[in-house]
Amino acid sequence: MSTDSAVGLIPVIVTDIDDVTPDIRVLRLAPEDGHYLPGFSGGSHITVGIDLDAETHLRNAYSLMSSPYDTSHYEIAVRRVEGGRGGSRFIHSLKPGDRLGVSSPVNLFPIQIHGKLHIFVAGGIGITPLFPQLEELERAGAAFEAHVSCRRPEDASLAHRLAERFGSRVHVCYTSQSGRQDFRAVLARRPLGSHVYVCGPAAMISEVRAEARGLGWSASHVHYEQFVEQKTGKAFDLTLARSGVTLRVPAQVSPLEVLEANGIAIPYLCRGGACGQCETRVLQSDTALEHNDVWLSDEAKACNSNFMPCISRADGGTLIVDL
Amino acid sequence: MLITGIKSRPVYDRLAPFPDALLHLVVGQGSGGSAMSRLLADIPAGAEVEVMYSTESFTGQNHAEALAAAAPGHVQCFASNAALGDALQDRLARAFMGTRLYLAGSESFIGLAMKVARQFDLNADEVLREHCGSLVRRVWCVHCDSYNENITQRVFSCTGCGKPLVVRDHYSRLMGAFMGVQGDAEVPGELPEPSDLDT
Repeated sequence: MSTDSAVGLIPVIVTDIDDVTPDIRVLRLAPEDGHYLPGFSGGSHITVGIDLDAETHLRNAYSLMSSPYDTSHYEIAVRRVEGGRGGSRFIHSLKPGDRLGVSSPVNLFPIQIHGKLHIFVAGGIGITPLFPQLEELERAGAAFEAHVSCRRPEDASLAHRLAERFGSRVHVCYTSQSGRQDFRAVLARRPLGSHVYVCGPAAMISEVRAEARGLGWSASHVHYEQFVEQKTGKAFDLTLARSGVTLRVPAQVSPLEVLEANGIAIPYLCRGGACGQCETRVLQSDTALEHNDVWLSDEAKACNSNFMPCISRADGGTLIVDL
Repeated sequence: MLITGIKSRPVYDRLAPFPDALLHLVVGQGSGGSAMSRLLADIPAGAEVEVMYSTESFTGQNHAEALAAAAPGHVQCFASNAALGDALQDRLARAFMGTRLYLAGSESFIGLAMKVARQFDLNADEVLREHCGSLVRRVWCVHCDSYNENITQRVFSCTGCGKPLVVRDHYSRLMGAFMGVQGDAEVPGELPEPSDLDT
C-alpha cells in the first residue's frame, strides 16, 4: 500500500478468507494495531483502498456484515465482477496476512428504531447489511423478517448463514426455480408502522418501491441502498482552479479517488452518486461530461454546472473545477 | 418571557387528501370539525374513510351533525378528547400500511393525538394536522408529569402538584405540550410577573 493513497484510511490485516459461493468471498479484517476498529450501526459500509498499480488507487464501498457488538474485526463480502475496474478481482486475489486500508464506517441505510415491524428484502450480495441490522433488532427485541432472493441453491450460503442465526424469520426464494419474489405478498396488509428495507439490484429496488407505492406505503417507510458499479471511461485531466493543480484521472479511477490519492479531502458519503455530499462546481470543460449520478436534476446535468466526482467524469480532455 | 419566538411550536398544515391512501382516517375535535368537513368533501368518492370526532371543546363548537351528513355511517363521536385518544390507539393498532391520518382541532388535542400517532411511527408524509380554534396551550409539568389543559397565563399552579409553573415557549413534540417549570426554583417565593400568554 503506497502511503499517499492511504490518506485517512485505517490499516487492517486480512485475517481470514472464506469463499462462500463460487463468486462471493467473505473477508475478515482486523486492525493492524491489535486494538478495536471504530464502532458502527447495522447498515453501515466502509470503503476499501485498492491499489491496482502505481497510478490506479481505487476505493470501493462494501457493507459491513459482522456484528456491531464486536469491533475487534470487520467482515465484508465481495462478489467478483468480471469486467469492470478490477477492484473485486483484486480483493479475490488477496491472501490471509495481506494488508489493506479501510475508511471509518458510514451508515446511509440505518434501522428506523421506532418502527413496529422491520421487513427486509435482499437480493444477491445485497444480503450483507442484513447481518448486523438483524443482530441489532434481535438485541432490541424488535419484530423483523427477511426475504432473501438467490439465483440457485449453490448461491445461497450467506442466506443459509442468516437463516441459521435468525431462524424462521428468514425466508429464502430461489429465483431460478420459482421466478422473482412476490413483493406484493410481502408488503400487503402489513401493520401500521412497518418499514421495508431493500438492498439488491436496481430492478429489485424499483419493483419493491413500485409495489409499496401501489399499496399506499408512504415513502418515509421505504428504504433502499444500492451500490453502483463504478463505470470506467476515458482518462482526462482534472484542473483544480483554486489551487492551480492539474491531476490526471486514469480511465479506471474516479475523480474522487484521484483527489484522495493526492491527499485532497473533499466531503463524500455514498460514493455512488446518491447522497450529494461531493457535488462540485464545474468551471469549464472542453468535452462532454458523463453524469452517472442520481443526485443532480436532469436540468443541472444538461447545463454541466456541477458534477459528482465520486461517479461522474469527463469524456477525455480537461475539466476545470472549483476546488 | 423566558425565550422569545417559539421555534419549537409545530407548523400546522391545511388538511388535503393524500393521493395514495388505502384508508383516510379523519380525526378531530371541537372547532376542528369545520376543517374535517372541508376535507371530507375533497376526498374522492369511493375512497375508504373513517371519521372520529370528540365534542369536547373550549370554545363550544360542535360539528357532529355536519360530519354525520358528510360521511354517513362512518362517524364515531366521543364525549372527551381522552376517550377519542384511547379509541385512536385501538384503531391504529388494527390499521395497515396505507393508512393516512388527518388531525384537526386545538393544539392540545393535536398534541394528544400525535402522541398516539408517534407510537405507530407515523411521519409527516402520513399525518396532516390543521389547527383550529383558540391557541390556548397544553402544558406538561416537568416535575410531576401531569398535563394542564387550556392554559392562557404565563404563571399558573400545576393541577398535578400545585407548584407555581412558568410556561416556557418550548413545545415538546415528544410530550405533545409546552414545558412548565417551577417559577421560583432559584429563589423561593420570587415569581415572574403574571402575564397573558401571547398564545
